[in-house]
Amino acid sequence: MTAILTRCCLVFALCGALRAQEVIAPTPEAVGVARGGDFANYNIVDSIELGYRWRLTDGSVDTYRSDVNYGDGIRLLASNLSIHSKDGHGRWFDEIVLSTSGLGNDPYQNATLRIQKNGLYRYDLLWRQDDYYNPGLLISGGDHLMDTVRGLQDHSLTLFPQSHVQVDLGYSRNTQSGPALSTVQGFETTSSAFPVFENVRQQWNEYRIGVLADWAGFRFIARHTWDYFKNDSTYNLAAAETSGVPADPTVPQQFVRTEPNHGSNPGWFGNVYGTRKYWALNARLTYNLGNGGFAVNELTTGLNSVGAADNRQIVVSGDAQRPVVAGDFSVSLFPTKRLTIVNHTAVHDTRIDGDSYFTQFNDGTGAATTLNFKFLGVRTIANSTDLNYRFNNWFSAYAGFTDSDRQIRFLEAFSFPSVAGSAINDLYQQESRLNSGSVGVRFRPIQPFSINLEAEAGHADHPLTPISDRNYHTLGGRLQYRTRKLQLSTGYRELYNENAPLSFATYSSRSRQYNSAASFALRDWLSFDASYSKLHLDTVGGLAFFAGTQSPQLQTSYDSIYLSSIHAANAGLRFAFHDRADLFVGYTITKDTGDGRASAVPVGVTDPIASLLDSVQTFPLTYQSPMARLSIRISPKLRWNAGWQFYGYGELFHLLGFDQDFHANTGYTSVLWSF
Amino acid sequence: MARRTVILCLRGLLLAVIATGVQAQPPGASGAGGYVGSNACKTCHADIWLNFYKNPHFKSVASGDLAPSRTGCESCHGPGEAHVAVRGGKATIPNAFSVMSQAKALEACLTCHARDFQKANIRRSEHTLADVACTSCHSIHHSPTPKFLLARKQTDLCYGCHAGIRAQFEMPSKHRVNEGFMECSDCHNPHGAFAPTWRMSDRPRMVDQALNNEEPCLKCHVDKRGPFVFEHPPVRVEGCEICHFPHGSTNERLLRRPVVFTLCLGCHNGGASGTRNNGVPIQTSQHNLLDPRYQRCTTCHVRIHGSNADETFLR
Repeated sequence: MTAILTRCCLVFALCGALRAQEVIAPTPEAVGVARGGDFANYNIVDSIELGYRWRLTDGSVDTYRSDVNYGDGIRLLASNLSIHSKDGHGRWFDEIVLSTSGLGNDPYQNATLRIQKNGLYRYDLLWRQDDYYNPGLLISGGDHLMDTVRGLQDHSLTLFPQSHVQVDLGYSRNTQSGPALSTVQGFETTSSAFPVFENVRQQWNEYRIGVLADWAGFRFIARHTWDYFKNDSTYNLAAAETSGVPADPTVPQQFVRTEPNHGSNPGWFGNVYGTRKYWALNARLTYNLGNGGFAVNELTTGLNSVGAADNRQIVVSGDAQRPVVAGDFSVSLFPTKRLTIVNHTAVHDTRIDGDSYFTQFNDGTGAATTLNFKFLGVRTIANSTDLNYRFNNWFSAYAGFTDSDRQIRFLEAFSFPSVAGSAINDLYQQESRLNSGSVGVRFRPIQPFSINLEAEAGHADHPLTPISDRNYHTLGGRLQYRTRKLQLSTGYRELYNENAPLSFATYSSRSRQYNSAASFALRDWLSFDASYSKLHLDTVGGLAFFAGTQSPQLQTSYDSIYLSSIHAANAGLRFAFHDRADLFVGYTITKDTGDGRASAVPVGVTDPIASLLDSVQTFPLTYQSPMARLSIRISPKLRWNAGWQFYGYGELFHLLGFDQDFHANTGYTSVLWSF
Repeated sequence: MARRTVILCLRGLLLAVIATGVQAQPPGASGAGGYVGSNACKTCHADIWLNFYKNPHFKSVASGDLAPSRTGCESCHGPGEAHVAVRGGKATIPNAFSVMSQAKALEACLTCHARDFQKANIRRSEHTLADVACTSCHSIHHSPTPKFLLARKQTDLCYGCHAGIRAQFEMPSKHRVNEGFMECSDCHNPHGAFAPTWRMSDRPRMVDQALNNEEPCLKCHVDKRGPFVFEHPPVRVEGCEICHFPHGSTNERLLRRPVVFTLCLGCHNGGASGTRNNGVPIQTSQHNLLDPRYQRCTTCHVRIHGSNADETFLR
């Protein structure tokens, strides 16, 4: 038995060796091989880690909370409970598995629960809560700050999970609430934007019922879903705001907006699939009917853009629909044991339309109501074929071809319902065809060593946007050596999208990824892992826009350039001292060196437009996080743990004048008890 | 007479039921086919059998009514008669997964698991094409995870091959995977997925759809789902990743650019009122890019994912 436990410990130790560096807590080291305790005909294994987190921050706390967000306080850092019946014939259940993480005010809390009785039922719960904080400095200068809590839960109950007829019941819930900032414009759409307080209140509930049946060697699934959403967020202005722009005297003194938006998405899902000796089939059909009704009531009073007293009320109401149909049909053929051929056809159709009645009242006088209407239809039919041939146990290859046809239709219209025949329409229709081919080979000359090479090239004749895939290719390769104690891998992947000139500009995007990783469990008390990746992205595109120091002029002689050259590395080292203590030290760094320039705007550039565009061509920064954790085994069932993790974030250029740099020391101490 | 007839009929019916039951018994039940039963295996492999009742595959043993080819050790490893006869050795195990090719391991597992809906697309998954089979990620007898018999924690498994993705999750702005709040399988199906309902339905192949046929982002970010009278078309046509890096980014809110106007100009590129003949609006001369107000597009166009009240997403 000792030998068995030793082997199990070695397995766990290896798992530790290969573990990716994560946040400092909860503690991943186990007390030992928990055999649990027997009660009646059940075996119970439990572990609980209770501890205290702390943090010391310096610099931009806003950015720290956006990127990391761990705070101070007592936490149930992690817990795991499993109960198993020993003969598979428990009276009420055969298995209970409960895992929690971060309970007690960590920003990322979650719990999973599974209860099942063999052959009778299986219940799964997933519960999560995220404290979301983001100032959005570079996006909106902090005017779109969010400090919300998002809660998610998913319940799933399967009746008769091992039988040929099963029933699935489910319920999911998603809520978001809390304070936030948004922005509104003054009395005209050309005026400055002013921050307003937003009380976020969003809720979504989904109910599911489904049946699964096996018949004639095929499995049939039918499911009906109902989901209901509502967004009752409100907006108001705490006090009069000035624009801060000398030429704009607009001062909103009062602002209130309510905009309830409620709707539902009833849907159907059907699937049939099965496998025979020489072929397999898989077909799916789904339908979602999205619809929602809304009303907006917005009132603004204050001084308008010429400094005169003004008040404006905007009333909007209407509804929106979005029926979506998606279907797939896949046939797999196995004419020989070496060859697999898969043909897949996918059809997708989305139709979005709705009416929006807009009325504006200036100083109590209403203008004519405008009926705005928009239709967006997307229909895609795609067919792909893949051939996978295994020449022998160490060499195989595959090839594939995809043909996709997409039609997009926009219809924008508005009218004045009070004036007959006033409708004005704009209709746009675009069809694009994509053809792509891919090939790949795999070598496995010896069992632990593998080589994968792959390539793909594609062409789409009318992509929707200049940055969509048009003429693209990918190249990739990976070498991996993998044994229980040693893993080595290196890989490369590139994606080039070289778009042909549009009427006025070209666009080119090139991304390359290089990575290498190594994990080595030298002894059962010493292990090491490290990885390095370089992520390169450069894009260049022609630009046409309006800009000018006095009045905006059309500019067509500038390019949009962006270059990101990210070096990312991490390393971790783990020592175990005679089964009494475990020490882990690790380090992670992400460094974007940009194009190596010393200043955001190269010396000598005086053109204000060139200066602006130059300043956003790169975003060099460094984000690093060293950490150390000590875990001491006090008894076979008890561990004491302590850890420290540092976060350092520094930008080189501070784009748009915002300083987001921060340093943070975080840590924890905890007791882990298990049996 | 009538009573004797009824009794005879009942006897006949009983015999017929018994006979039917006997016929329904699988041939292996009598020990045919070289099956020896799990009790023979645990004599030597006590270490595996000791905790096997915690293994999901134990259900086949607990049910007690399955054919030998579908229950216990031999349901996966094949009949053990030869293995027992020579007292061990991998060469005599019909399905010894540690020495089997990936393709054979896949076929062995699919004998039962081809019935799982989550594996309905496994033949066309990129993992299958790359020769990544079941035993690459799952450990049937030594799994440290409470569910799905994973060989390691899920993120560690995925990072083992996808080091570039691991680097993205260590960037300042990222989905909270390393923090344990999410897992890769929240968005991806490692066994293959249906064709996406965004882009040109060609790629990606391993991203699972949520809410019947939607991009998985909308499973959590339901407020971006709509429907809206005025939807930002790229969300539906190209998917969220046309503006966002889904895993992690050095830029706020997973954006592809640090400053918003450079992102928006990528599509809304052109100098005149109206659209570029395909419905994509281009900016007007009101937008002076040297004015800081117009460098943060979403400060005015606040409802960038979709709006019910304004076609340019102003409210």
